Amino acid sequence: MSRAESGAVGVYHRVVVYLLFAILLLPLLGTFIYSISSSWSATILPSGFSLKWYVQLWSDPRFLHAFGQSLLVCVGALILSVVLILPLLFVVHYHFPRLDALMNILILLPFAVPPVVSSVGLLQLYGSGPFAMVGTPWILIGCYFTVALPFMYRAITNNLQAINLRDLMDAAQLLGASTFQAAFLVVLPNLRKGLMVALLLSFSFLFGEFVFANILVGTRYETLQVYLNNMRNSSGHFTSALVISYFFFVLVLTWAANILNRDKSE
Amino acid sequence: MSYVSVQHLKKNYLGTTVFSDINCEIQKGEFVTLLGPSGCGKSTLLRCIAGLTAVDGGKILLDGVDIVPLSPQKRGIGMVFQSYALFPNMTVEQNVAFGLRMQKVNADDSKKRVGEVLRLVELQDFAARYPHQLSGGQCQRVALARSLVTRPRLLLLDEPLSALDARIRKHLREQIRQIQRELGLTTIFVTHDQEEALTMSDRIFLMNQGTIVQSGDAETLYTAPVDVFAAGFIGNYNLLDAQSASKLLQRPIEHRIAIRPEAIELSLNGELDAQVRSHSLLGNVIRYRIEARGVELVVDVLNRSAADLHPDGQRLALFIDPTALCKVA
Repeated sequence: MSRAESGAVGVYHRVVVYLLFAILLLPLLGTFIYSISSSWSATILPSGFSLKWYVQLWSDPRFLHAFGQSLLVCVGALILSVVLILPLLFVVHYHFPRLDALMNILILLPFAVPPVVSSVGLLQLYGSGPFAMVGTPWILIGCYFTVALPFMYRAITNNLQAINLRDLMDAAQLLGASTFQAAFLVVLPNLRKGLMVALLLSFSFLFGEFVFANILVGTRYETLQVYLNNMRNSSGHFTSALVISYFFFVLVLTWAANILNRDKSE
Repeated sequence: MSYVSVQHLKKNYLGTTVFSDINCEIQKGEFVTLLGPSGCGKSTLLRCIAGLTAVDGGKILLDGVDIVPLSPQKRGIGMVFQSYALFPNMTVEQNVAFGLRMQKVNADDSKKRVGEVLRLVELQDFAARYPHQLSGGQCQRVALARSLVTRPRLLLLDEPLSALDARIRKHLREQIRQIQRELGLTTIFVTHDQEEALTMSDRIFLMNQGTIVQSGDAETLYTAPVDVFAAGFIGNYNLLDAQSASKLLQRPIEHRIAIRPEAIELSLNGELDAQVRSHSLLGNVIRYRIEARGVELVVDVLNRSAADLHPDGQRLALFIDPTALCKVA
């Protein structure tokens, strides 16, 4: 390929990338400008800029409460996922590798059933009787656990396959480590990257989840997305400030996780 | 009494017999090799000795004590894996010190012993590096150091050189053998590479389909294969059935014979009843494919000079040393 051709191809590649970024960022940019404009209705450009919507949002106790509740439910579901899925993955990959095929089918189930359909089932199952949990954060934590399962399982499985679990466990045990010591000292630290990816993916997804939250708990345990839905009739500037705040929070979280996830040796 | 004694060992896997009656004796300080093709059961036997795979019957005596009921942690056995199995989250020093940490050896002793063993494998300057910052050969030396630092009663090496390139492999096998001799460590080495087995071992156990088909020192295995498999696996033997052998040697032969390619001499003097079909250069050796009296043979000749090379189609005389004829089952 000649230099001129490679230059042309290079320009084309750059244009495609910039175009993709523009398509992804344009709505966000529009929302951001809208959130910092004091009013923007009958004019091409906003009539002025102001942070009043952010001030109003972050001083609304209902918003802070919903934000906290969303955080609590997501973190709760993720803690439950880590506590249950890590040992499960270890058992599947170390002791019963043939179960991996079955697990791969099971983890697809949360995607196979649409949220509205499974919500109706959950409402019937947990609406009354000994397991009446509808309207409480517990049902949401349980439900979010199933939603997080595929992200967690796949990301950590990829990591497990990359580290050669069996040889690491065997080597550690021959050096005198118990199964627990081998898992805790040798395997777990090497799953950090996969685990962080799984947690970030799941958190971003769950923090923005609306269908389950709205149907299963609604205003009885208002989460961020339910709050956003309930505020849809208030000012568009206000809801834009909410969306940007939400986006910024996830962005900061991802950045912080990336910093923490860096290897000491890199 | 043997230091390691494997008696009537059985192992089945998913309804298939991996081996049904393995017996072998290893003396203290010996370097023995389990040699065989993939799937012959050599790695499974090694894992059974290590305690990483359960056995279905038989005994493994180490220094007179049956270790079959013991967990891998309590057998006092060190092992080096083909994949190195270094802990990626730990530095070289931490990897090597791991076994001592599990034995709760105090920090000063541990540091001293780690330093000693790293010097032994010539990696004292790499203590602070992580496994991903090392080459394959260096990784395997760290794995060796890690298994030596706990002063194991028996060292197992599971194809430790297979993933390395030829030059490093050659250097490392000399280094492993030297360290083993220095420490007088009883070692079982698993490989499918006959050259590795022949150059490193005091004794070789040749395995095929879950049985030890022949054992002995390198010289015995190379010069006196007991059956067709042994002759085919060790060296590039010419295997002739009774009929072909009778034709070639022009006398009645009633059994199969094997002839080493380097035991056949080619000459331009004498009865020229052989012809060069093709030849290939293997560095210091020229390998000829010869047809003689209707029998095709492989002949290896030392590559002394270009003038000695016999071109394809050349007619030659063939001399076979009668002592080089091996009767095989």
